[in-house]
Amino acid sequence: MAAANDRAPVVSGADLGDARRRNVPGTPQTVAVTETPQPDDKKKVKKGPSPLEILDQWEWLIAPILFTALAFFTRLYKIGLSNIVTWDEAHFGKFGSHYLKREFYFDVHPPAGKLLVGLSGYLAGYNGSFEFKSGETYPPELNYTFMRQFNAFWGAICVPLAYWTAKELKLRRNAVWLVTLMVLCENSYTTISRFILLDSMLLFGTVATTLCWAKFHGQRKNSFEPEWFFWLFMTGLSIGFVTSVKLVGLFVTALVGLYTIEDLWNKFGDTKMPISTLAAHVGTRVVGLIILPFLVYLLSFAIHFAVLTNSGPGDAQMSSLFQANLRGTEVGRNSPLEVAFGSKVTIKNMGYGGGLLHSHVQTYPEGSGQQQVTCYHHKDANNDWFFYPNRRDADYDAAAEPRFIGDGQTIRLLHSQTGRNLHSHQIGAPITKADWEVSSYGNITVGDEKDHWKIEVVSDAASRDRSKIRTLTTAFRLKHEVLGCYLRAGNVNLPQWGFKQIEVTCTKENKPRDTYTHWNIESHINEKLPPGDPGQYRSPFFKDFVHLNVAMMTSNNALVPDPDKQDDLASQWWQWPILHVGLRMCGWDDKIVKYFLLGNPLVYWGSTAGLGVFGLLVGWYILRWQRGYRELSQFDIDQIHYAGIYPVIGWFLHYLPFVVMARVTYVHHYYPALYFAILTFGFLTDWFTRNQKKVVQYGIYALLDATVIGLYIYFIPICWGMTGPNRQYSYMKWFDTWRMSDA
Amino acid sequence: MTTTAPQGTLRQRSVAGSKKPKDGASSDVELDKLVKAANKAPKAVSERDHKAAFTLITILAFVTRFWGISHPNEVVFDEVHFGKFASYYLEKTYFFDVHPPFGKLLFAFVGWLVGFDGHFHFENIGDSYIANKVPYVAFRSLPALLGALTVSVVYLIMWESGYSLPACILAAGLVLLDNAHIGQTRLILLDATLVFAMACSLLCYIKFYKLRHEPFSRKWWKWLILTGFALSCDISTKYVGLFAFITIGSAVVIDLWELLDIKRPGGALTLPQFGKHFAARAFGLIILPFLFYLFWFQVHFTILTRSGPGDDFMTPEFQETLSDNIMLSNAITIDYYDTISIKHKETKAYLHSHPERYPLRYDDGRVSSQGQQVTGYPFNDTNNYWQILPAGADDKQLDRHIKNHDLIRLRHIVTNTILLSHDVASPYFPTNQEFTTVSLADAYGDRAADTLFEVRIEHGKPNQEWKTISGHFKLIHNPSKVAMWTHTKPLPEWGFKQQEINGNKQIAPSSNVWLVEDISSLPADHPRRAKKEKKVKTLPFLRKWFELQRSMFWHNNQLTASHPYASLPYSWPFLLRGVSFWTQNDTRQQIYFLGNPIGWWIASSVLAIFAGIILADQFSLRRGMDALDHRSRSRLYNSTGFFFLAWATHYFPFYVMGRQLFLHHYLPAHLASALVTGALVEFIFSQDAVEHEVAYQAAKAGKKSQTPKHHLTARERFAGQSLFGSWVATGVILTLVAAGWYFFLPLTYGYPGLTVEQVVRRKWLGYDLHFAK
Repeated sequence: MAAANDRAPVVSGADLGDARRRNVPGTPQTVAVTETPQPDDKKKVKKGPSPLEILDQWEWLIAPILFTALAFFTRLYKIGLSNIVTWDEAHFGKFGSHYLKREFYFDVHPPAGKLLVGLSGYLAGYNGSFEFKSGETYPPELNYTFMRQFNAFWGAICVPLAYWTAKELKLRRNAVWLVTLMVLCENSYTTISRFILLDSMLLFGTVATTLCWAKFHGQRKNSFEPEWFFWLFMTGLSIGFVTSVKLVGLFVTALVGLYTIEDLWNKFGDTKMPISTLAAHVGTRVVGLIILPFLVYLLSFAIHFAVLTNSGPGDAQMSSLFQANLRGTEVGRNSPLEVAFGSKVTIKNMGYGGGLLHSHVQTYPEGSGQQQVTCYHHKDANNDWFFYPNRRDADYDAAAEPRFIGDGQTIRLLHSQTGRNLHSHQIGAPITKADWEVSSYGNITVGDEKDHWKIEVVSDAASRDRSKIRTLTTAFRLKHEVLGCYLRAGNVNLPQWGFKQIEVTCTKENKPRDTYTHWNIESHINEKLPPGDPGQYRSPFFKDFVHLNVAMMTSNNALVPDPDKQDDLASQWWQWPILHVGLRMCGWDDKIVKYFLLGNPLVYWGSTAGLGVFGLLVGWYILRWQRGYRELSQFDIDQIHYAGIYPVIGWFLHYLPFVVMARVTYVHHYYPALYFAILTFGFLTDWFTRNQKKVVQYGIYALLDATVIGLYIYFIPICWGMTGPNRQYSYMKWFDTWRMSDA
Repeated sequence: MTTTAPQGTLRQRSVAGSKKPKDGASSDVELDKLVKAANKAPKAVSERDHKAAFTLITILAFVTRFWGISHPNEVVFDEVHFGKFASYYLEKTYFFDVHPPFGKLLFAFVGWLVGFDGHFHFENIGDSYIANKVPYVAFRSLPALLGALTVSVVYLIMWESGYSLPACILAAGLVLLDNAHIGQTRLILLDATLVFAMACSLLCYIKFYKLRHEPFSRKWWKWLILTGFALSCDISTKYVGLFAFITIGSAVVIDLWELLDIKRPGGALTLPQFGKHFAARAFGLIILPFLFYLFWFQVHFTILTRSGPGDDFMTPEFQETLSDNIMLSNAITIDYYDTISIKHKETKAYLHSHPERYPLRYDDGRVSSQGQQVTGYPFNDTNNYWQILPAGADDKQLDRHIKNHDLIRLRHIVTNTILLSHDVASPYFPTNQEFTTVSLADAYGDRAADTLFEVRIEHGKPNQEWKTISGHFKLIHNPSKVAMWTHTKPLPEWGFKQQEINGNKQIAPSSNVWLVEDISSLPADHPRRAKKEKKVKTLPFLRKWFELQRSMFWHNNQLTASHPYASLPYSWPFLLRGVSFWTQNDTRQQIYFLGNPIGWWIASSVLAIFAGIILADQFSLRRGMDALDHRSRSRLYNSTGFFFLAWATHYFPFYVMGRQLFLHHYLPAHLASALVTGALVEFIFSQDAVEHEVAYQAAKAGKKSQTPKHHLTARERFAGQSLFGSWVATGVILTLVAAGWYFFLPLTYGYPGLTVEQVVRRKWLGYDLHFAK
């Protein structure tokens, strides 16, 4: 416990000091260590404990309980006040409903958080029938209060976790309290935790991972002891959890990863350590920090697939085979097995996240100006195509016996809604300029040879016979007869004129393994053929898992800001650390209970300033070191390293990606980063007050604590809900950009 | 920090620093003895070898770059751009480009020297130079000259860094015999300037660094300033020159860090001394280059005094600084009762109306007001004429100017109706208001309010007069505050495929901007049209520069459209694909921009080997095993490491760049990789004598040396040992490289034409060459 203990066996840098220190005679090295105030010291001096001393002695228990109680109070108080669907509850509540109805849906986030939302709905006795339209009133039978409480639980738990983290990072008690208070009295954390959103879980996961990491670091001298293992695996579990909630969790994973690399590098340099021990260190970390989290992530998807067994709105994102195994799907149900001329089909791209071949009356604004052909995930009649014989062949005769289609045959595809042929020509595609444009052109009689496509079967899961194309199981490519190019949909989104659907091109490169040129028949209607059941083949879990993940990535990338659609809720990265804007979470009508997402100014400004101060601090000590000053003890260096630098790295890891990211960003994207900024602030306060007189210390902390609490209470209406006209809250509107009031 | 292992501490400190050919002078005594003992040859022999090799390589460089430079006598690839810009400079017409001016100014200078007047605008690839009488050989000589000198500079870099003869020859040979360097520097393109400036900055910095024991001497200043100048030329040619700043900057930071060291070998510096070092570098490498950079812009603005194709990229205030500007000369103040035509700035369509009406019901089932259509029409037509009526009574009072924020009505002359907008959804946009016209009676009756529009001049001041052409404005419907807007999606047949006009609730976007093209009611000789001899306005330089700079960055980021021959950074070191520059069908000739595959693959694998060696060294050091002697390690980290740093900083930033990228962006990085190759081949194939290390250890143990500080030349370093291995390696590599160079020559020089079979043989990685069928 005592700081002095930490000095002796400092990792492997024990004798590093020799080389560096020898030139600095007389530099006092132990100032900080000896003066470290030890809260527990006092009890040894006096005999009979006074009530204050008992409190002091039991602080480790009382303080977390007290903070937790306060956290639950602030997060839960009047949580059901607003009975309308607020902000992104519209999304996440809806996803919860999908779980309850067990309908397959598609979303960019991994499933764990939404599964928990679904669980909360289940516990609340909700049947999943509500649509969660933004701003709608909750129906009386839906216990939304419980669902919100469930979410608030995660947000509240962050507070004691922050307490223990700060403690584990060896901050002094006052600083620990300050950090805990800054998390507790953070208006934005409070507000975001009070609704059916994923952010409270994300925050919980980030905070929990940080705690586990700190605990694990604290156990570094007890390698391979049970407690060491416990915290290693807890770190792994929380990484798995946070990553399964939102992929933002990867940033805290990166923090732990960096720590592990540094740790292993140190161990690698310890020549006294047997190779077998070193290997064990590497091995346990691979298991605990890579394999375990990945298993958790896999598990969340396994549950996801296990729960969602009914067909739903997200079907089209998945492979045809997967869809065929959903209950209530049209895909593969009673479809004839083999495709013949005259069959009406939908054609699915087999690449990850591939959609259905689609065309609509809108034309290309550039290039040929002919009708657009795209790939589209939504199922509608514009995805239907007819197989027709080529122009040299005998015409399709509806009365005759069906003629089946097989490998190597040249066919035409006729768009059922507009009657045009799938066509390509020597005009560059709109986005992928190196490929040819694909359009819909002509009609059943008008057209030319550029409507001809040759079928090349790639594989068939059901049969070796390539003379026929089978629904669902045959993967084929379509080769343009004249140009020799292949039909491809490569997950490139068209601009607004193409409704952001996927661009379809004809690629000149013949790459048989490029799955974006592979297509299969998804639905198939031909009255003259007997219905079959092609959907008896299952797609393997792992393939579905990869497929869904790639689809998530690609559509996440598609969330680029759209200049045509100005979203006044969105904000930019530079606005967050300076608390430039807030966010209105619902309508601003007098009758609506209004919630405004804005942080505690001291926490934001203080922590942001702290990051700069920390940079100066480190720069100062490094320069001084180069100039021969040896003023820091090994304990001090370790303290800066683990309680200062790592949180700052954590802040950068959670912040910089949003700076480079070209997608729409909102204020709540900053919340995980803010936590690390708070830790840095705590470290700095601790650092600068360490050698001050007790009075000064208490004065500073009292001032900071009081301001944090005061501001929190001052701004509390934006968290607990503002009722009545918004003008009466204009007192909080310090800046014009804080739009909690119209006044 | 706690992390450094004990055994690595000292050693790492000495190696992680910047390039130091030797770590202190202490070993010189022993070395000198060694040199004297081992080297009985005359002192000058080695230097003479170097001079001979340098001369030979320079001559070869000029031959390879200038050979057949007049072919093809047509515009090739991006000559379209850079030739054009040179012509604009010569014609003094203002143009806009995303690159800074220096490289283009050089071309203009060449054109001026040979008396070219800039009449030819390099419009299309394949335009004939002969028919258009363009001194294109002179233009191309500039990059060829710089390209040839680049090879010499590479040699000098290696020489200055103290590498042996074979290493110097190898590094220079890799650049000399590289088809990409040759191809890119024989055409009117900026890259020759860029690569040359980049190489010069490395050379100058090395020269500067070698003088570190005589700080603030005249020579020291000279090379510092020359480094800054080279860097400035680099970044003033293309913004990728910034990478050279990062390279040099990193080296400088490390150097400064060591100067700050209290245990510095030469004795600790006081803080004021250190401050002087710092200030000198900041001045020479940041402030001075920036001033040079600004200077080129000043030249740019001074030359380009006439309005030209670049006007549209600038603000009206800027455009008024250009002479012969249509805006300046033709702008007429608009009065009430003038008849005008109004043009949409982005789509160039005129505000138009005709007697046909909106259909009752649109395809999607929504209904219209069935009012008279108001559309956007791109051609001149009397239906584009609108008369401006005052907001108040129709008092026929003439000679009143219209000012910013005035309310007006617009009367459509042909149909004698008044423009109006109202809360009816437009044909395409349910969110936007329909524009239509109503009769005069209505306009002054029930609908009076709905016919009022506010003229809001862009960046206008209150009471500013509204002028034709220069007065960009938004037309805001007064009651509803929507802005008149149009877009390119044509209306259906009922609207004759003309553009839809509607009221946009978003007032801010620049697509709402319109301008008055002409006052058609004014006869051509009307006094109001008389041009007052206004003198050209001036703007402060910094303001012009700042505006242009912003515009350049903005447009640079917009260059995201895909190009058939664009490539991604990962493909460059492997040379997966080239760029087709030029083809000629009848002779089957083509220029396909491609590096020398053999040279590139060797250089890239050497980079990997270097990274491997460094990693292996770090790992073994960490485990307390010391496989390298002190001198080799120092050289490996400081000198070769510097080249590797140059490669990395000229390569990896491209991964985060969003704009379209081409193979030629790799050329500076390739040059750095050639340097690494030369250095590493020497490292691998020469055995450093063990005595050096013994001497070093002895020196480290405490013997202080009194020898004056000087740099070891290669001769001294390799005294008493054989360079045979290096020579063999160099010979083998250069032979292979020369073979590859020769094989791909026809694609680089554009002749002779190749048969199908010959083309197919050169499609090594499926290079998309022409005439393969």
